[in-house]
Amino acid sequence: MIPHCQLPSHIATGPHVSPFVSHNEAGAPYGDHRSEDVHVPANPASVPFAVAPSTDKGEVAMGEPRKHTTTPYVTGNSVLAIKYKDGVLMACDMLGAYGSTKRYKSVQRIIRVNDTTIVGASGEISDFQYISNLLEELMTQDFCYDDGCTMTPSEIHAYLCRVMYNRRNKMDPLWNSLVVAGVDKNGKEGNKSFIGSVGMLGTSYTDSHVATSFGNYLSRPLFREFQRDDMSLEEAVSLMQEALRVLFYRDKTSINKFVLAKVDGEGVAISKPFALDTKWDFKAFMNPSKHAVGSW
Amino acid sequence: MSRWSPYDLNGGTCIAIGGEGYCIVAASTRLSTGFSILTADKSMILEVNDKCLIASAGFDGDRSQLHKVLTFRSENYEHFHKKPMSCPAMAQMLGNTLYYKRFFPYYTFNLCAGLDDQGRGCVYTYDAIGSHERVGYSCQGSGKDLVQPVLDNQLKAPSILELPPKVAVTSLSQAEAIETVKIAFSAASERDIYTGDAVEIFILTPEHGVQKEILPLRRD
Amino acid sequence: MSGVGSGYDLSVTTFSPEGRVFQTEYAGKATDNGVPCVGVCCKDGAILAVEKPEETKMMLPNSNRRIFTVSRHCGMAVPGKLPDGRQIVSRAQQEAENYKRFYGETIPTKVLTDRLANFCHVFSLYWHLRPLGSAALTASFDDDGPHVYLSETNGVSYRYYGIAVGKGRQGIKTELERMKLDQMTCKEALKAVCKCLIKQRDDSSNKKFEIELAWISEETGREFVRVPADLAKECEAAAKKEIEQEEDDDSDMEG
Repeated sequence: MIPHCQLPSHIATGPHVSPFVSHNEAGAPYGDHRSEDVHVPANPASVPFAVAPSTDKGEVAMGEPRKHTTTPYVTGNSVLAIKYKDGVLMACDMLGAYGSTKRYKSVQRIIRVNDTTIVGASGEISDFQYISNLLEELMTQDFCYDDGCTMTPSEIHAYLCRVMYNRRNKMDPLWNSLVVAGVDKNGKEGNKSFIGSVGMLGTSYTDSHVATSFGNYLSRPLFREFQRDDMSLEEAVSLMQEALRVLFYRDKTSINKFVLAKVDGEGVAISKPFALDTKWDFKAFMNPSKHAVGSW
Repeated sequence: MSRWSPYDLNGGTCIAIGGEGYCIVAASTRLSTGFSILTADKSMILEVNDKCLIASAGFDGDRSQLHKVLTFRSENYEHFHKKPMSCPAMAQMLGNTLYYKRFFPYYTFNLCAGLDDQGRGCVYTYDAIGSHERVGYSCQGSGKDLVQPVLDNQLKAPSILELPPKVAVTSLSQAEAIETVKIAFSAASERDIYTGDAVEIFILTPEHGVQKEILPLRRD
Repeated sequence: MSGVGSGYDLSVTTFSPEGRVFQTEYAGKATDNGVPCVGVCCKDGAILAVEKPEETKMMLPNSNRRIFTVSRHCGMAVPGKLPDGRQIVSRAQQEAENYKRFYGETIPTKVLTDRLANFCHVFSLYWHLRPLGSAALTASFDDDGPHVYLSETNGVSYRYYGIAVGKGRQGIKTELERMKLDQMTCKEALKAVCKCLIKQRDDSSNKKFEIELAWISEETGREFVRVPADLAKECEAAAKKEIEQEEDDDSDMEG
């Protein structure tokens, strides 16, 4: 019998090392019935990607806290929102990314909650769909009260803050950054715009403009410079388009398919998906494969 | 990959100074996470009533929760006792509230400040799990290392170490104390990236109740 | 203790020798003696109407509601004992919400009303429970169009073109049978329903009445809502006028 080879575990992977492995040693639970030339790892736990339920480190071990979402799977990127003269605008793209893969390209990440409120989300898409359901139930309950009033954007924001904070307290966070935007029509001095944000830890704030994830770096500076609460709809839309364009140029996980939503005194309007004109004819972009042999 | 943490540090500095017949509570309004600014205008001071204020630095999620709990309890107290909660009572309750979560703490660093029964400024300073002490002045948050020594030096308050103990309120006049707070904040905003944008200054006096002033700071 | 069946009406868990459960029948009387409620199904929707006597002049109008919203597509009128009725309503709201959460679709009315009937029925199975003194008159609009169901306290649930419960129900039912409900729109039927309710009023008492009206139709966007106050008032006035007209005609003929 060949003595057991002490290769570092990260090298001992492929079939070529099979001669060094004794099939009959303890730790090879399914080695017995297989033919000799099939590679069976001696200790599945030491081999990357091999799964043995009893030894998998991802499983719940004694004395360790239960594991919840430790990393998001399908994610949406930046959500932008700004106030303007008559209300608020919100925009984001429609990508649902699986890591760096552009996996889903028609994900609606802005939802209408009621006649005065919309909610946009970046982060885990499944968690957002759960939140959408919560909001729909909340609005149905509101409808059933039949008392002639509906929840205001700031109330919905407060509700979402509690939901997010409550889940982080359970060490089971909803992996999202949410933006709530809308118009409060109950105010004494006419309609009042509202934009609020809440993160997965329950960190919340309200402002005249908000951007989540990458947008906080790329779009917020534009907003700080150009956004005014009394700007016209046209100005606001073109500012928003400029912000989206910058995001598309510089954010790898974004696509040129956007949705723009508006809330004003008349109600909620969410646009059809649209694309922006982009300019790529910079010299270095003209023939990117020129110096890459074998590329097309 | 590092484990997910339920905590964050959102920065900000707060100062409270008690004097004879006044109390000053001030806090910056910048909310940050990591190296980004989330908003330039978020208050971290809770006005409990016109005799007591609470300023909390640290993690914003816990701060909102803590302030909600305290508001609720102080309202309840008012309904039961037919009087607003005194600053020393609120100080004790804040300590208990924090200690109740000893093993999953509110990651907040608080100052409870206001006027006591004699109308004298009183300041309580806390750690995240509720241990506290009555002092004449104090400072919490991301800029505390910069500000606290300045206060120690400038406020001319009797030392807490002195025997027999003296009331540790500053001997400065109200105007001088406000000026000191302003200087402290503009100095802190020069060196601490988490302190900036603006500072809210609340002045409590038995005669005028709560007055508020806003001082703009560096926005970079 | 005389007569067949006497002594068998104290328990909900004991049959009489003729095979009746008196307690559930008595519970049914609670709805029979309660305020009149009408539900009709028209070609474009469904209507619920309740006539309530003014209990005291000091009560604010519209504060003693008997029509409740269960879900966006569904509402309910509760005759009989109002507190018991509210139990049914809150159960209905839960059922509707749970169904939506689980299947992602609105609850079919048949499923909802069957579940409510089951819910009511349970109260007639155990000695320690009292049957509910109410019922669920449900109006809805789902994928199969408009519906009116009545789920009763004894546990049965049927679908109707039009149904009335409570005081004066026989008279109203007769009136409903004369109408061509399946050819009427909700708007047309509103006045007719008001007429039925007003007609069976006891004229001898000088009580004031309030008619509560709610509907669901294509016009309301398939959402269950109260009939707008001005339209409700208009219908009630028009109904009153027609009745007076008819009475005048009758007396003319007699004369």
